[in-house]
Amino acid sequence: MKWLKSGLRALFLRLEQVCEKFFGPSLNPLLHLGSLGWFLFWIVTVTGIYIYVFFDTGVTQAYASLEYLSREQWYLGGIMRSLHRYASDGMVVVVMLHLLREFAMDRMRGNRWFPWVTGVPLLWFLYACGITGYWLVWDQLAQYVAIATTEWLDSIGIFAEPIARNFLDSSHLAGRFFTLMAYIHIAVPLIMLLFMWVHIQRHAHARVNPPRKLGVAVLVALVALSLVVPAMSQAPADLDRAPFEVGLDWFYLTAYPLLDLVSGRTLWAVLVGGSVFLTLLPWLPPLRKAPPAVVNLDNCNGCGRCFADCPFGAITMVGRTDGAEFDQEARVDADMCMSCGICVGACPTATPFRRASALVPGIELPADPIAGLRDQVVAATAKLQGNDRVVVVRCAHAGNLDALADTGVTVLAMPCVGMLPPSFIDLVISRKHADGVLIAGCAEEDCYERLGDRWTEERIGSQRDPYLRDRVDRDRVAVSWASPVQQNRTRETLVQFRQHLHDLAGSARPARTGVAWRARLKQLPVPLRFAGQVAVLGTVAVLVGWFATRPTYAYLNHDQALLKLSFSHAARSLKECRHYSPQELANLPFAERTATTCERGRWPVDLELLFNGRTIHRATHQPAGLWDDGPSTVYASFRVPAGTHQLTARLRDSGRTTGFDYDSSATVTLSPGQNYVIDFRGTEGGFQFGRAPAHGLATQETPP
Amino acid sequence: MTLLEWRDDFCIGIAEVDHEHQVLIGLINAVHAALGADRSAERIEEFLGEIHARISAHFALEEKDMRSRRYPEFSLHKADHERLLDDIRDIMDEYSVHGVLDDQALSNRLATWFGDHFKTYDARLHSFLQV
Repeated sequence: MKWLKSGLRALFLRLEQVCEKFFGPSLNPLLHLGSLGWFLFWIVTVTGIYIYVFFDTGVTQAYASLEYLSREQWYLGGIMRSLHRYASDGMVVVVMLHLLREFAMDRMRGNRWFPWVTGVPLLWFLYACGITGYWLVWDQLAQYVAIATTEWLDSIGIFAEPIARNFLDSSHLAGRFFTLMAYIHIAVPLIMLLFMWVHIQRHAHARVNPPRKLGVAVLVALVALSLVVPAMSQAPADLDRAPFEVGLDWFYLTAYPLLDLVSGRTLWAVLVGGSVFLTLLPWLPPLRKAPPAVVNLDNCNGCGRCFADCPFGAITMVGRTDGAEFDQEARVDADMCMSCGICVGACPTATPFRRASALVPGIELPADPIAGLRDQVVAATAKLQGNDRVVVVRCAHAGNLDALADTGVTVLAMPCVGMLPPSFIDLVISRKHADGVLIAGCAEEDCYERLGDRWTEERIGSQRDPYLRDRVDRDRVAVSWASPVQQNRTRETLVQFRQHLHDLAGSARPARTGVAWRARLKQLPVPLRFAGQVAVLGTVAVLVGWFATRPTYAYLNHDQALLKLSFSHAARSLKECRHYSPQELANLPFAERTATTCERGRWPVDLELLFNGRTIHRATHQPAGLWDDGPSTVYASFRVPAGTHQLTARLRDSGRTTGFDYDSSATVTLSPGQNYVIDFRGTEGGFQFGRAPAHGLATQETPP
Repeated sequence: MTLLEWRDDFCIGIAEVDHEHQVLIGLINAVHAALGADRSAERIEEFLGEIHARISAHFALEEKDMRSRRYPEFSLHKADHERLLDDIRDIMDEYSVHGVLDDQALSNRLATWFGDHFKTYDARLHSFLQV
């Protein structure tokens, strides 16, 4: 697990590095996977509403209504339909990358289990949306999806009557069932939206919108894909024929071809087991983290700044409990706290200028007391020499930067740079402990503790409390945001920053206000960056367009036909009904008196199917119902060679030990791709071969 | 001597804010008294550093209350808080660097500093809350 995680992390970091060259940190798609998921969800919603206006939910009209959209109204409806498909596929891509990335970056263990665990059902909803969506087109893919899905559902064995019987042949097809699917396809996304909302509940300032430019770029890529490769229906569904090949959407229907290799139950076990495993992943192994933040009421007046800044919603403002004349106090929920210390950086009493009282802030991390930080700053800077002395403040996740230390540089570590109260920067610079402060945290837009980089920049930029005082020259406060594989960037920033400090020495200009100082780092020229952006998004779009229908999946060989044996038959009762004796009748309450009494319970149905004399099916089908008094239901499907064959079906429903109650044979000619159904009706003489042949295919029945 | 005197017209009508105003004035006076005769740069720094920390926290609380009451002049009031905090940092640095504390001058300065803010910004907040 550890190796898998570190391997994946290395992969992601490299990929992100490449993407960042083109997109920069603010537009890097790999840093906005979650919000891109939301964005794609809205695209799918809007296009879905448009399609629904024109969509006919009747089984016979559905196909035609979509054909109209794609062909007559290609310029709008067709694009909407394509966007609906490709944005849905895109959602699978970003959701899977999002999942892998949060795992790789280890952002799901400890108290961050909540979004991870609530994300697992979201996967199921996402797939349910996609599968029901393909169903509605009612083309050959839909037919395949309908039959494979219902057969797969039936394998659980909880449905008395197999749902797949709804799609047995064209005479069976129930329009209402199809209409039901349309409403399921609307209901599931709504439930999914609810879970998406729950998913982000524990994240303060959750990012649900990607940066505007990135959103526009993704939309443009999807529209381009929709114009180049419009989403079209495959040949219309025909339940009397089985499709040879279907163009599968490999994003949603990946698991379906597996059903040819393993049983439906095995696949269920794999998927449910996989989901359970995913759900447990945050505790494999449990995260060992520093103790949670604690509130010191003597120094808390309930100002709420820690509450406003906590990235994990671990702080609530509650009524005062110590009798002090304040309305509120901060309270830390230890089960949600990640011990990042961002709350400490927000606390107004966490100022190192306090000396008369012990430096205990209103909120602090027991493992990283702020008083210790002050002592560290003073001690570490005492040895520094030169006019370009720098205190580097690094976080625990940007890689080890301790090697940067030299005679003019000291490195202080803290869980997250957001833990540094701005007054510490003021102390270092105003009291000349050093000439500059360099804050080196995680990659921009990708703070491990979610908001550390943002709050730090905003506090320095006087946009968020507590402000860094205006008296502090912003030219002496530098930031470097870099992932562990981008440490060169921080090194380069430090070199430039020290040169800058050196140049500043002795100049008596007023302190600069505004944002922190940043090094000028090499960037690709704009045309190259643009080309790179087009290439990255274009590649993803091409992959989405390709795997949305290709490669095709061979459902049936060109020389095969599909044979289905399916019926529902109530076997004979275990005991015949008998008349009540007059005595018994007299003992019965008046309202319950009937002429006969029947014990519940039926015989099972024993069934055999022979194909050219060879047994291809032999099974005992138990009666349905809690008292075993319902009908036995049979659903079996076989891929057989086309051509003329001898079929023999035998059935026993009376509990006899030898022989059969029904025994029929037929010589049938199966054309390639034909869907041939063997039915059974006890009241109409038993087996019926090739019931309701919709296309006049030859069947010759021979009497038993 | 007491550096600052609490006056009832300092009241703005938010119980916790008024409470903390009085605590602050008490604190300033107490810390100042404790300073006693020791006027070393270090002791002065301690004294002013404490005041700075408490006033920062106090402003943070007052700002929260103003925000939650949707006080229309919030940004002006907040700007004055920031100016006051800049001022006290300047005072701190002046005194800690020079190490000389003239009681009368400091008293005047703090009184002006505090009093002016009370008279204008806090009074306006008070009248807003009265309506």
